[in-house]
This record gives sequence, C-alpha cells and structure tokens, in this order.
Amino acid sequence: MKVSHTWLQTYFDKPIPSADALSELFTFHSFEIEGIERLRDSTSRLTDTVIDAKVLPDRAHYCLSHKGVAEEVSFLTKQPIKSSRSSKSILVSLDAKPTIKIEDTHFCRRYMGRYVELNAAALQSHSTAAQSSGQQIRAFLAAIGQRSISPIVDATNFVMFDVGQPLHAFDADKVQGTIVVRAAKKGEKIELLDSSEGPGKEVELLASDHVIADNVGPLAIAGVKGGKRAGITPSTKSIIIESANFDPTAVRRTATRLDLRSESSKRYENEITPELASLGMEDVSILVSQAYPAAKFGPIVDQYPVKAIHTTIVFDPILVEMRLGIRIPPREIKDILERMSIDIAEAEEGKWRLTIPFTRLDLKLPEDIVEEVGRIYGYGHIQGIFPPVSKAKVPVLPMYYLSEMIKNILVEQGFSEVSLYSLVANGEVETAYPLARDKAFARANLTDGMMACVEKNAMNADLLGLDVIKVFEIGRTFTKEGEFTMLSIGVGQVKKVKGEKVDNILVNSWEMLNKELSNNLKPKIITKGTNAVCEINLDELLKSYKVPSNALYSDLHFSPASPNMYRKISLYPFIVRDIAVFVPENIEADNVWLGIEKGIGNAGAVGLLARHSLFDTFKKDGKVSYAFRMVFQSTDKTLTDDEAGKIMEKINVEMKEKGWEVR
Amino acid sequence: MPPVRAREVAQEPLFCYSISMNAEQKGHLHPITQTIREIYSVFYELGFEIALGPELEREYYNFDALNIPADHPSRDMQDTFWIKENGVGSKEGGEGSKEEGGKKVDIQNIGRRLLTTQTSAIQIRFMQDKLKAGIEPPFRVIAPGKVFRNEATDDTHEAQFYQMEGLYIDKNVSMAHLKGMMEYAMKRIFGPKVEIRFRPSYFPFVEPGVEVDVRWNDRWLEVLPGGLVHPNVLKAGGLDPDKWQGFAFAFGIDRIVMLKHGIDDIRLLYSGDLRLVDQF
Repeated sequence: MKVSHTWLQTYFDKPIPSADALSELFTFHSFEIEGIERLRDSTSRLTDTVIDAKVLPDRAHYCLSHKGVAEEVSFLTKQPIKSSRSSKSILVSLDAKPTIKIEDTHFCRRYMGRYVELNAAALQSHSTAAQSSGQQIRAFLAAIGQRSISPIVDATNFVMFDVGQPLHAFDADKVQGTIVVRAAKKGEKIELLDSSEGPGKEVELLASDHVIADNVGPLAIAGVKGGKRAGITPSTKSIIIESANFDPTAVRRTATRLDLRSESSKRYENEITPELASLGMEDVSILVSQAYPAAKFGPIVDQYPVKAIHTTIVFDPILVEMRLGIRIPPREIKDILERMSIDIAEAEEGKWRLTIPFTRLDLKLPEDIVEEVGRIYGYGHIQGIFPPVSKAKVPVLPMYYLSEMIKNILVEQGFSEVSLYSLVANGEVETAYPLARDKAFARANLTDGMMACVEKNAMNADLLGLDVIKVFEIGRTFTKEGEFTMLSIGVGQVKKVKGEKVDNILVNSWEMLNKELSNNLKPKIITKGTNAVCEINLDELLKSYKVPSNALYSDLHFSPASPNMYRKISLYPFIVRDIAVFVPENIEADNVWLGIEKGIGNAGAVGLLARHSLFDTFKKDGKVSYAFRMVFQSTDKTLTDDEAGKIMEKINVEMKEKGWEVR
Repeated sequence: MPPVRAREVAQEPLFCYSISMNAEQKGHLHPITQTIREIYSVFYELGFEIALGPELEREYYNFDALNIPADHPSRDMQDTFWIKENGVGSKEGGEGSKEEGGKKVDIQNIGRRLLTTQTSAIQIRFMQDKLKAGIEPPFRVIAPGKVFRNEATDDTHEAQFYQMEGLYIDKNVSMAHLKGMMEYAMKRIFGPKVEIRFRPSYFPFVEPGVEVDVRWNDRWLEVLPGGLVHPNVLKAGGLDPDKWQGFAFAFGIDRIVMLKHGIDDIRLLYSGDLRLVDQF
C-alpha cells in the first residue's frame, strides 16, 4: 500500500512527523516498510514523499486506505484525527433513483446506489474550483502511482485509496431496468472495461461468480471489474454510483479464477465492513459535485439486509502481563485501546467488555487485544526471561538418529554429503503448476540425481584433488505408494587403480554400514561407465535396525559448523600440468615443491595455482624422482595453453638453476 | 539479559570437540546439515527433542490447522506446489473446496496434497501424536525439514530450502520467554555480542506475531519469525488454550548458512557440487 505523506496530513490539523520518522514508527509498531520514495517537480522541489507499507491480511481490513494508516499515525503519535475533512454536504434535488434488488444476501451484504445527473454542459467550460479540485485529486493519485482516467473514475479511485471502500459508476442511460446483484448464469459472458494492461476482454462466467446485472444482462463482475456496456465515456450524461460490500471468499475465487486481481477485489477479499459503504458514498458524491458543480443528486438507495454488529470481547487486563511478560499500568492499556476507538466497559471480576470499531475486523480474540497493546506500547519494552528447560532425557527419534549416524559413518569413509533437487523432469507425483516443465515432478528416486552428480563432480576431480568421487544424499522420494526416506551413495572412479572396481568401493561403503548397524543390506548397484550408485530405503532399514533404548543424541558427536568462509568457485576451466623432478636422495619433496613454487612466483602466477599434489615418488641410482600435479585456474578468464606453457618454462628455469633434472 | 549460566542448561552438551581424525581422509557434511546440527545442539541442551514431518503434506496440516483457511488472502503469502490429482490443477476448482459430492470429506487424512511450504505444519502432527500417546505438555521440539515454494528462483530464492521449526508449550508462556530463549540461542549461534529485537509482523499461526532481528557484525538481519502459538492452532493440536500456551519460531537455515559462510548464491547449496561442499 503506497501512502502519500501529503495525503495523510489531510487527516490532521497539526503537522505529522516526517515520512522517515513515520516509517521508523511503523516498522516497530505497525508493519514493515518496503520503501520511501521522494517525489520532485520539474524544478527538483520536493512535492511529496510516498511510504510503501507492506500491509498483510491482519491489517488489510483497515490499512489498505489512507484513513486506516492515518489511524495508525494517531495510535502512535496520539495526535487526534480531524473530525471532518469536508464541510460540504450534498443537496438532494432529484427524485430519480435506481431500483436495486439483492438476490444473494450472503454474497452481497450491502448495496448502496445513487443516481446523479452530471449536467456537464452547464459546466462553465473551465470552472476554476472544479479544476483545482481535479488537479489535487490527480496529484494524489499520481503520487501513489495511479493514472488519471476521467473525473468520475478518478473520484471513485480516490475515495477507494482514501477510505478503503471500492466504488463503481455506471452510465445511467445504459442501465435497463432493475439493478440486480445475483449469481452468474453458467456460460454467461461479459465484455470488460479496458484497463491499463490493454483493451477489455470478454470473459465467460460460472455459476459460482456473481454479477451486477440489469434487465439485459451483466453490467459488472461484482467487486472485481466493471463491464463495457454501461461504462463511463466522455459523453456520459448521468451516472449511477455503487458503494457496496461483497463476500470476501466469493470475490477472491472469481478474481483468482479469471486472473483479474484488482485494487477493488483486493479490498473485498481481505474483507471490509459494510458500514464503510455509506462513508464511501458520501465522499464520492462530494467529489463528483466538485468536478461537476451543476450536478444534481438523487437520494441514496440503501439495501442493507443484515446490519453489521460490533464485535465485543470480554478481556481480562491481566492477560497483557501474562502473555507479554511485562507489566503495563491499566491506565496505559486503557489509553491505548481508547486511542483505537475501542469502547471499554467494566465487566464482572475486574474484566473489561470491549466494543470493537466496525473497521477492525482483525480483532476477534483476547489475544488480538494483547497484540495491539504490545505493539503500540512497544515490544522493545519486553525484557527477555529465560524459560524453564527440561532435565528429563530427550527422547530419540529413530529416523533422525539413524540418518545422522549414517552421515557420520559415510563421512568417516571419505564420502561427502550433497543435497539435490526434489523437483525433476519425470516421476510419479506431479505438481499442478510447475515452475518449469523439467521440474514438474517430485522425484521418485535419488539415483538419477546422484548419477548426474557423480558425473559432474568427476569432471572436476583434478581440481578437487580426488581420484575417486564419493558422495551420498539422504532425502525423500515420492511414488504412488507414498513418501520414503532414502539414502543414495554414489562413486565415480576417475583414476583407474589396478584390481579395484568401482563396485567394490560401493560394496565397501555399505558393508561398513552393515557392520555399524548389524544389518545385512545388499542394495542393487546401478553402473554407468566408471560410475556406480546404489539406493537404500531407510524406512525399511528402520524395521530391522532398532535404535538402542539407551541411545542419546550426544552419542552422535555433533561438532560445530565449519568456520570456513566460502571461496568463490571459478566459472572458468582449469588446466592440469604434471612435472617430475629428479633430485639427489637427500633432498625432500617439500624442498622440491618450494623450488617449483618459486618458479610459479617468477611467472607471476601464484594466484592461478588452485591445487597441487605429490602423486608419485621413486628412487633410482641414489636419486629420487618426485612427480607433482598442478591445477591452474583463473577466477576471471579462461587460461590458455600458452599461459600454462610460460609458467612451466619459469619452473624449468628455476629447476635448472638448482641443478635438478626435469624428466 | 544476564549471560546464561551453565546450571541453567539442562542437558549435557551435544558437541564433541575432541574427536580428531585424519582430515584428508574424511568427507564433508553438507553445510546445511552442519548448521542444523549446530542449532539443534543449542536446543538439545535445553531439552528440545526432534520431530520430522512429511514433505508431501495434506492441505489441512499445512494450512487449515495453522489458522490459514481456504480462500483466505493469507494463503497468498506462500506460493504453493499443489499435487495434480483429483481435479486439482484445473483452475476451475478454486481453492480448498471442502465438500465433494455434497459430503464433507475427511480433510485431515484425505484432503488435497501439496509440497509442504513450512515446517510449522509439523507442529500439529507433533501435538496430536504426543496426545495420542498419552503424553501431555510441556512440549519442547525442534523440527528441521525441507520446504517448497512455487517461486521463480534467483541467487537468494530457491523453490526448495530448509527450515527449522521450534515449538515450546507449557503453562504461562509469554513473549518475554520467547525473547529470553531467542537472546540465548542467537548468542550461541551468532556469537556473544549479538543483540536481538522484535518487530510486529503477521503469521496466521501466532498471535502476537513478530519478526526476530539479530544485530550481527553491525547489521540488523531479519533472521526468524516467531510469536505465541495462536489459540486456534493449540486447539487443532488438541490442547486447551486456556490451560496451555506456547511460543514458536522458525529458522531459515539456508539464509543462516549463506550469512555465516559468505555464500552468495543459494542455488549452489543444491548443485551437488563438491567444489562447494568440500570447502566446509
């Protein structure tokens, strides 16, 4: 909800705090502020400041309006709101009035209608009063990002953003007979008004939708969007103004189904009090009379079958201390509630009978009152109290215990844990509105993701310094039979070792699990080239493995999270170079590496060395050969063979100076 | 709040600093697991147990029981992955029709399914299970889990992420207790110098509801939502709200992992890339 500071000020006699000061107050007492925008005219003069408040469903009943936000200002600053902002009243000078019939009183709680003859021709082409009033409204609407459409539509929009009551105006000459609020007929069609997104489309309605109709057919989708047939045009001579109240659920369903979320439907679906309709009608009538000084007004027709009643809450003021944990003097609590126009009557046993204003549909329970007192008084006053804790043995959840134990066992064996995507291209459980076609299903197995994970990591084996990629994941799978907790283990053999098969590494991993869990797992191995994956159902495993009754989570030896800061992964490919150096037997590998490092330094390439390792050593004729593997990678470009070649040259020069032989 | 003294901590510490292994031989736990373990260790010492819930959840537990009724605007606060079945998936049905063929359906067990949007869904199942087993409060539970949101992804948003729910039920529980618990936990997690503050917010399953901010490295961070458990949620869990109260809170694990390790893209956490995992 965008709130104009200048607009807000119209609710007060005295200057209100600056937009920045108000934002600070709102942040700690009302709602989150998403931004502050300063508006300037062509000479860079500040014309207005707009606060963007994140109004969530609890405050949306009253704060999707400048009036509601002004009330918040009044709660927080204790500045009273002006009793009336306009002294003007409307003189009823016509007998003409619309005939209104509400068919569905559950859906339509109130419908007010009024006939107005604009007499635009009588408007002395440029009435200055009408002009300045129109300018002011356009400036306010522009400040909150609403474009001006016509004097009538601007007036209805302004009142909606001002007091929170959506309004609609029909071209009275195009309305035939009685205005009926009714359920739509299945298949009934309506051509909608144009909007800022483009020309109005024709939509087909269902019996669960509701319309405002006349003898001919639908005039508007109730609470959502007006129709073209009786829309206001530049040649409109007389209008019927609607100020109504509709059922939140029904409006929401229709607006959602037709993808027609509007400022109007937003207010209805969040629910507003039907009491607001009369204020909306009065205010919009005044604005219409200002825009069309010669306009003549008929009486207001008010269909209000079930009158709203005030919510009453029996409230024990001690609840404030019990729930907030701070003592607030009763006088202060009363003061806060009175500022909210909540009427307080003494009830039995020191309790209060609170009468809640119509607009505050968020206040239903004593807990809601506690929150109001707490936030206005300020949560900053709450001093933390450490709550009672339990010395009883913490019960162990078998699945958590088992999962964490398996993680420990596998990590000890050199396996690293991954967490992969649950939404994939194929499966048995499909989501209704997927983010992308290749993420439409909840995964039916972990194996597919694990195989791809092993393959991807195998390509980085040199960079990771691994001869074998060893990974695992514990996660859920989803099949027609239900949801399961699964373990998948993946192995990728990057470097061939004689006599060692990739399957063996996998078998060894679960043999270790079998040993630790006294079990007899024999999962199926899926092999693809030099990669292999297996998958184990932990729900099944829990049927044969019983967590010891004396088990404690402390047996799992959790350690604090790694303190390491993340080093950015380079997006560029790496280059691998090996070097073998023949040196006298008394020279150690570390010394040789220092020499190599110096060579790299001479090439100015220390920052490019991503990893190095000693991968081979052998002795011959009183000499020893050390073979190092170096991985070079830049964080900001692709290294060329030429650049790697130059580094190797500098290393060779350095080796030669030391009198060592590069093989 | 004065520093928490050892005697206020009820359980033996969970951390074991003494285990030393040949670091080169070992693999690495995913940073999400490491952080969940670190946070749980803090709460374990205070007597909190662990609960896990389904990722494929019923509408009732994820929404209705948490005071988020069908067709209410509060449902918009979380974009949901509904499961395509029984007519769900055509926009015709609208949200949450509780009647099928004129008959009320058993919404707890055969209602519509979705990928859980919040670990708060575990609250109701936990309370129901405890009461079914004849165990009355006090309850203290931490529920880590993967949750899903149907939102476009970028470097700070993922369609899947981890949360860790905390639920504390006892008699005479107040916001001051929530604050005391959060001050203690945040000092353990972020370091002894942090401060915390409450800001008003709205989550349908708590009343009052707050955002808990943490001042860490001279910056205020929005770390977790919390509040007193809403009476409707206690009732849905089978408890009498006049007798029992509680507070609840939910850590966003990914955000904490990213802050503490300086990771700049949430998607890296789910890439399966050991160039990330093996750094920690």
